[in-house]
Amino acid sequence: MSAKRGIKTIIGNFFRKRGQSGAEASSASFIISLLFVAVFFAVCISWMLYKFPYHLFSDEVYNIVVVNAPESFVRFNEDTQYFRDEEAREYGERYDILGNYENIINYTYRYDGNGITKFVYKETDALYDFVTFGKWMRENGAYLTVVFPSDFDQQIADRQNGLTSDKPQILTYYRTNSLEYSAMKEGFIDEYLYFYQASIRSDYGMAITMVSDSEIIDKPIQTVENANGIRAIVETLSRTFIPILLFVILLYSSMSIGTNVIAGQKERGTFTGILLTPQPRYAIVTGYLGGVVIKTMIPAFFVATLSALLVGRYTIDSYLAIYLYVLVLEIFIASVTILISVINDSVISAQTAFLPIFLTLVAVCVTCIQSVSEREDFYMYLPVHGQFYGIGDVLVGKTNVAGLIVSSLATLLLSAVIVFITERLLHSERYTVSVDTVDAKEVKRRREGGRPSAWEMINKGYDHLNFIINEAFYPLVVLSVYQMLALIPVVVSYMRKAEYSSFIRDLANVSTVSDIIDKTFDVFSIFFKDPLFLSLMAVGYALILVTYFIHAGRVWKIKGIKNKITACGYPLSSVKHILVHYGLGLILGFIMMTCTVGIMRFTGQITFTGFSLQLSSIGVFIFNLLMWFPQGASEELMFRGFMITSFSKRFKPAVGIIVSSLMFSLFHSLNKGYTPLASVNLALIALLFALIYVLTGDIWMTSAMHTAWNLTQGNIYGLQVSGNGAANSIITAIYDKDATSLITGGAFGPEGGLATTAVTLAGLVIVTVLLVIKSKKKKSV
Amino acid sequence: MIQLTDVHKSYTKDHETIKGVSFEVHEGEIFGLLGPNGAGKTTLMQMIATLMKPTSGSILIDGLSADKNLLDIHRKIGFLTNEIKLDPMSTPNVLFDFFAKLYDIPKEELRDRRDESFARFGISPFANKRINELSTGMKQKISIAISLIHKPPVIIFDEPTNGLDILTSKQVTDYLKELRNQGHAIILSTHIFSVAEELCDDIAVLIDGSIVAQGSVEQLIAQAQVNTFEEAFFKIYVENHKE
Repeated sequence: MSAKRGIKTIIGNFFRKRGQSGAEASSASFIISLLFVAVFFAVCISWMLYKFPYHLFSDEVYNIVVVNAPESFVRFNEDTQYFRDEEAREYGERYDILGNYENIINYTYRYDGNGITKFVYKETDALYDFVTFGKWMRENGAYLTVVFPSDFDQQIADRQNGLTSDKPQILTYYRTNSLEYSAMKEGFIDEYLYFYQASIRSDYGMAITMVSDSEIIDKPIQTVENANGIRAIVETLSRTFIPILLFVILLYSSMSIGTNVIAGQKERGTFTGILLTPQPRYAIVTGYLGGVVIKTMIPAFFVATLSALLVGRYTIDSYLAIYLYVLVLEIFIASVTILISVINDSVISAQTAFLPIFLTLVAVCVTCIQSVSEREDFYMYLPVHGQFYGIGDVLVGKTNVAGLIVSSLATLLLSAVIVFITERLLHSERYTVSVDTVDAKEVKRRREGGRPSAWEMINKGYDHLNFIINEAFYPLVVLSVYQMLALIPVVVSYMRKAEYSSFIRDLANVSTVSDIIDKTFDVFSIFFKDPLFLSLMAVGYALILVTYFIHAGRVWKIKGIKNKITACGYPLSSVKHILVHYGLGLILGFIMMTCTVGIMRFTGQITFTGFSLQLSSIGVFIFNLLMWFPQGASEELMFRGFMITSFSKRFKPAVGIIVSSLMFSLFHSLNKGYTPLASVNLALIALLFALIYVLTGDIWMTSAMHTAWNLTQGNIYGLQVSGNGAANSIITAIYDKDATSLITGGAFGPEGGLATTAVTLAGLVIVTVLLVIKSKKKKSV
Repeated sequence: MIQLTDVHKSYTKDHETIKGVSFEVHEGEIFGLLGPNGAGKTTLMQMIATLMKPTSGSILIDGLSADKNLLDIHRKIGFLTNEIKLDPMSTPNVLFDFFAKLYDIPKEELRDRRDESFARFGISPFANKRINELSTGMKQKISIAISLIHKPPVIIFDEPTNGLDILTSKQVTDYLKELRNQGHAIILSTHIFSVAEELCDDIAVLIDGSIVAQGSVEQLIAQAQVNTFEEAFFKIYVENHKE
């Protein structure tokens, strides 16, 4: 009896007016969040109207785009034109007879591919450029694109003459925004294309059979699933925006309320008083859980109701279903918040601890959005996934009752486990006794000079690990972001080229990860001839430099752009110093690479066949040269100027040198043709550069060496640069027939071979000697 | 009413904060725990109030132990310490009702108790003000009112007069005397000699986690062979404190 009253009291306390300003603040924030929701929906809807206008207006389309139509197909169309006109006429007549419903439905599905279809002929070499195909279909009121290889007739002839047994491929792309189109496409393939193939066979004087001479591949062009017009918008809203909005509302409000209760009360010192009352711990946990749930429920139910009204759900059962989904999800999130609140001693620490959970749940939402069209049924029964998909299902009017029940029970069970754990934790002193005491005992223990506790050691280790991961992987993140950005326009333009078709065809045959890497690098070698890519990469590398300067300024708390750049290893004080070091670096890089190539030349691994630079490609060549400058500088900044300095501030400098060298090597490990020897070499090169950095005190020289090394390697001698295909080079070098990749480095380029090892080791010896001399000088001074 | 037998408490393996404390407090008696900062008074009080468990030894409240009858003990004790604060955004009225319900005080009785308790400490004029607008003394009075909301037979007050002016301090000590006369068992920790001297029937001097002397004020003075209670305490402290 007493526990029940306790639960009620604790819940009631959530809603008690606790002073005027508090109430004002919450209503203001409520109005702001309402406005936010309204604006959010308005933006989403207007975006969709802008993006997919054709859904709204011209969705009944019957035409077909034919790409690279072979002569035989054009002839076949002309021959059948009479029958199609006839059928179209008949269709029109039947369409007028209102009484003949069944017939019309039957008719549209089976014959409209023939009846009122017009063919639109287009030509392109890019057989997979579905972006353009989509555009053509929109422009021409077509639902289907049929793509022939440009030499289709020739391939058929070769096959009939026994020259090949390969079947030429016919690709079809169709709109998916209405189920009808899929049926129409089937009809077209099964009937029209079948008769077309039969006509070809009869042209060759062969019997008409079910055997087809070409292979038809279907490719749906994903627009929005199974809906047209306004329904497409409703569907997208229901399946993606509304569920994610509900999730975010629940997560956010639950976090702000839930972390404020127990952790906040511990912080304010009001929690112990509640623990001392004769209320069992479970009543306290349940009370807080109930309070958080009910309080977050208000905005969540409001948004859920509004959303359901917006998408046109007017039945009681869909409201019940959506409320149940939201309620169960809320209980789950609230129980997690309460658990975190119990573990932490202050609002800030609780919110920090909740952040990863917040992000994880949002990430789950994003994975749900991505796979809405191809989800597996069992996701419907899981916690979180089930609620996300379930809310979407309810909103589009397809409530899955089994999913609702099973996922709700599973989620409640999970919540119960969390609540149970929370209740047990409340019996432990660690989570109930006020912070001061714990602190006092810590201070006392330190004063007594005790050794650090295991907990402290773990904390410290965790701290270091965190730092290492952050700093060591930062380059990877930065580089991948900018590289991705630089790649997007290039890839889009590449998709419109014929090479892309063969690339896609080849990809169908790959089976291992390294095959994929090889293929990707093949494409990269094409990109390396593209001035657009080269200039975008150059800009990307320059942006990396800027990013790092800003990052360094933030992490090391340095103000002023000059100071930031200097701190990263690029002192700007003396122009002469810069020119001398940079120039010397360029010369040294050239010499080192030339020595490497020389070793390969004199061991008979490689032969020079002459000069290959052509006037037509001189532009690309210059772009390529220019790209190496920011490229070298950015890698030096990432691995030397920033990483070594950063590690040296925390650990010994040697740690920075070793970690950065290993990371540099690891960083290139995904490149084509990577071998263990290549990794050793790259680590050695990194070590060499690191020592030069120590010797000179800045990275001007190593940046220039890096640039000169790559430039000489790729654009002077025409060899692979860390697996990247060389583009335009001055000299053409070919590997000897019995060249061993142990020396030459194989597909990775010279950096994967022993020739580089030899040169780098020599460099290391020289730099070490110089370092020793320098330190002796210093001592004698 | 309160019975401690060889209570030990250690936070870490190699250091004991409380090193075997035993004493008893009876009905109608005020027991004083006197000691310097860091002697272990708060730890001991928190253990008696069931917030912490002793590492070994037993604490019985009216014959009940926290392991088995935690909630029953909660009904019997009223605990006041500086570490338990009042929600600064709340009001005395709201807080009183909230805790009254958590202590399961019947609705009919609730109002009478509040009026009585608020009248006694002069809280009534401030009953609807926010806690953070009130003075330290007023907050302490409200804390006392709330900690005794369920009329517990055992009262555990940790430094109840800390930071209070003389007037409020007197109100508190008078109230404690009254409670003793009503038959409550009271345990009081303090480092203010005058309070201990005036109120306590029995005093234990706690130094570095052990009780080094125990008895009435007169007994302690006699034991130390000095003239005043203050001198007695210093002498005991010097004799027993290591380092």
